[in-house]
Amino acid sequence: MNAIDGTDRHIKSTDGPPPSLLTIILDTNPFAWAHLSSILPLSSVVANLLVFINAHLASGNANEVAVIASHNKRTAWLYPTPAPVSAHNTNGDSSSRNGAATHTQNANKYQPFAEVETNLLFNLDNLLKTTTSDDLSTTTTQIAGALSTALSYISKSTIRHSPVDPTLLESHALVIDDGNLTSQRVNLVSRILVLSVSGDLASQYIPVMNAIFAAQRQRIPIDILKLAGDTVLLQQACDATGGIYMAPESPQGLLQYLMMAFLPDATARKWLVLPSAGSVDFRAACFCHRNVVDIGFVCSVCLSIFCSPNLPDSTCLTCSSVLSLGGAITAAPALIPRKKKKRKRVAGDGSTPGGSATPLPGNGTPVHP
Amino acid sequence: MADSDGEYIEASDDEYMGGGGSYGTRGHGKGKKGQRGDGRAKNAWELSAKTGLESYKESADGTIGKSIQEREEERKRKRWLVNTMLDAVKMPRRRRSVDLSIYERDPEPGIDYTMLPSLPYRTVSDPPVPRAVLLRKWLRKDTKAFQRGIIRHVVLVLDLSEAMLEKDMRPNRYFTMIKYTQEYVREFFEQNPISQMCVMGMHDGICIRVSELSGNPADHISAIQGLRDPKSSTSKEPKGSPSLQNALEVSRATLYHTPSHGTREVILVLGALLTLDPGDIHKTIKSCVQDRIRVSIIGMGGRMHICTEIVSRTNSGDESGYVVATDQELLRELLLATTTPPVIRSSVPTTDGAAAPAESGASLLQMGFPSRVIEDVPTLCACHGNLTRGGYTCSRCKAKVCSLPATCPGCHLTLILSTHLARSYHHLFPLRNWIEVSWQRAREKGSKQCMSCLSDFPEPPSSHTENAAESLTSAANGAVAAATSHIIAANGRQRSGDDSNEDELATASESFRYECRECKSHFCIDCDVFCHEVLHNCPGCLGGAGTRNDEESADTEMNG
Repeated sequence: MNAIDGTDRHIKSTDGPPPSLLTIILDTNPFAWAHLSSILPLSSVVANLLVFINAHLASGNANEVAVIASHNKRTAWLYPTPAPVSAHNTNGDSSSRNGAATHTQNANKYQPFAEVETNLLFNLDNLLKTTTSDDLSTTTTQIAGALSTALSYISKSTIRHSPVDPTLLESHALVIDDGNLTSQRVNLVSRILVLSVSGDLASQYIPVMNAIFAAQRQRIPIDILKLAGDTVLLQQACDATGGIYMAPESPQGLLQYLMMAFLPDATARKWLVLPSAGSVDFRAACFCHRNVVDIGFVCSVCLSIFCSPNLPDSTCLTCSSVLSLGGAITAAPALIPRKKKKRKRVAGDGSTPGGSATPLPGNGTPVHP
Repeated sequence: MADSDGEYIEASDDEYMGGGGSYGTRGHGKGKKGQRGDGRAKNAWELSAKTGLESYKESADGTIGKSIQEREEERKRKRWLVNTMLDAVKMPRRRRSVDLSIYERDPEPGIDYTMLPSLPYRTVSDPPVPRAVLLRKWLRKDTKAFQRGIIRHVVLVLDLSEAMLEKDMRPNRYFTMIKYTQEYVREFFEQNPISQMCVMGMHDGICIRVSELSGNPADHISAIQGLRDPKSSTSKEPKGSPSLQNALEVSRATLYHTPSHGTREVILVLGALLTLDPGDIHKTIKSCVQDRIRVSIIGMGGRMHICTEIVSRTNSGDESGYVVATDQELLRELLLATTTPPVIRSSVPTTDGAAAPAESGASLLQMGFPSRVIEDVPTLCACHGNLTRGGYTCSRCKAKVCSLPATCPGCHLTLILSTHLARSYHHLFPLRNWIEVSWQRAREKGSKQCMSCLSDFPEPPSSHTENAAESLTSAANGAVAAATSHIIAANGRQRSGDDSNEDELATASESFRYECRECKSHFCIDCDVFCHEVLHNCPGCLGGAGTRNDEESADTEMNG
């Protein structure tokens, strides 16, 4: 009797929707927002975003949210609030964090909503206040840093949420090669939403690509809501990780876009028809001029992409190795000389073909003891 | 140790039962396959011990029946598990559990482990240190920016001789090898998307070709699966003796026409302790050296002189390519270690001056970065001739191909995604290792939370209690580990600016903080592993923490 009850309860407990972590990266590039201010001021975006966050928190008891600002020269946590650094303070950790959160204790507001709101507004305010004119020297945003921070945060949260004892887990992983553990774990379902307003991310090509690749490995979809500007990289991020890319024509309806397209998490998305970007631009940015190219020339040593084969001194600009251009045009003609040589070789040497002849024109010197 | 041994036996039995049960349900769905698997399995494992046999049978045919998709998922999960495992090893408080899994993992009755040669790997006298060191080394090895051969041409030679029926790996070497090589092929192409591979087998004195040289992992995996699937025509039972000479000759012929800008590698998994050659293997070695083929060998059981010679001669004196797997985890680790692209050596100046510069053979390759199209009407693809609705159009001739990376069937342009290239960037621009942080340094910085995941660090102890705390830690960690870590931490503090201590033994940090040398941010161990293993970015450096360090107050720096 007990056994029957126990199994029933067990199945039910694992059946519920898994907790979902939504990480929002808010691009706070002042230049882009100044440009957008007539259509969509930052204040209304933040208001809409808070409604969206509340909707996310309300859709599941265990749901979590994290907000990161990708500013001009740095990234900043908007929620949760990081503890300020101060040496020799024994209890500063908890007190200072409450310092930001205890601004309002409104009885009419659901506590988690209020906490997110006060923290987010406090930190955003703080961020904008500490932005000096020196910071405004660059016009791009630190999207790579924000993505990296978000991914590390998600990875840590996933570890924290895995209900399986790590000791048990590793013995399973090592000794038995099977996937039956998956059924026992209720993993955190995470996703990243980027509210992007600035274009031209070619300077952060490699770190963004690393982040995309990491997200792909961890199966974290990256959703992009593109309010202004245009980047090839973020579109690729969506495509590689299975996220949603949206560039709304009228940004005024931001809240509706957020609610309709980005609220369902990965569990719900299986059942929905998602907005798709259709054809995706997969072109790469060349390393020499940051041009976006569709036929490029790639250094075989360091894989740098160049837009033209006419490099100065025919050396690679990144790794300065001397590059021959022969392979750049076509590799096909190599076929005919190969066949001729092979026959010669076989005729010349019996059981160990090619023992004497050096097969290719520029081959390695024999190292003989 | 003795009582933990007993515990572990019980635990592992439970695991096996659990594993068998879950696969039992799967087995019903695919009954035919399952029966076949059983029948075949009997040949191989007749003599094996009773414990755990059931579950292994089940898991074996489960593996056969699994689709590639499932395998992919499993693989990804496992990678994650390994990550968490690494983490567990580095955290001193979890060390004990690691010891159990590594050192007392073979409770199988019927095998007398005292008969095995006493390798340092298996000694239990001082368990935590060697294992942690091994893993840390594995994590920390490629931090220097070497020139690496990114475009690789690899022949993977598997031993299919009767030595593979040995049961020192379970269920036996052959099945273990087949299982891990499938995983290996996936990982290889994930790490080296623009490389080519070919799989061969040494079977009954000759070298057979399992799959052709190609860049498609699915081909290789299905071919390797076909080796052990009794239904397929290419099925091979391990038989006879291996021949290293034949294997090298066939590999050399396969790699002969590969372009000079790529590497030519042979990776041999050798279970036997003999080689049955038709001629003089030294001639073959010499011609391999001439064709600049690099051989690395993963042996089993013991070392062989001829293997040492092959590896050292083809790798210009470096013998590190010859390793011996003493158990199956080590085999897996050693296999996966070869997914990292090999270091390119500068050409040796010789009397024959003409040949030297061409060794590196760098060249500029023309590649297309096609865009994906989605069509309303299905059209024929140029690669298979199937009707498909979408695909990638060649940037030069507009032919449509189904998947990337590929060579355009129309104009022979190499078509890849820029993401494929980007996957290799972290080999070329590796993230520098983060250093351990002493309590003193932690107090100086006053860091309370991990920079990227905001998890709390433990408070640094006040100065006068520090000594007491340290002695406590050392008691917990095992004296050797703590002492080493203390020394290393001290060294790191003194010389944190320079590169000289990169190769040093890396151990767990006493303050649970790890510091990036560039931006001086502090991170937790989980983020350390994640950033170096998966992300290859430093959130602190990219987040602008380094630039603000000098000018701003500590408060804004942590926010930033």
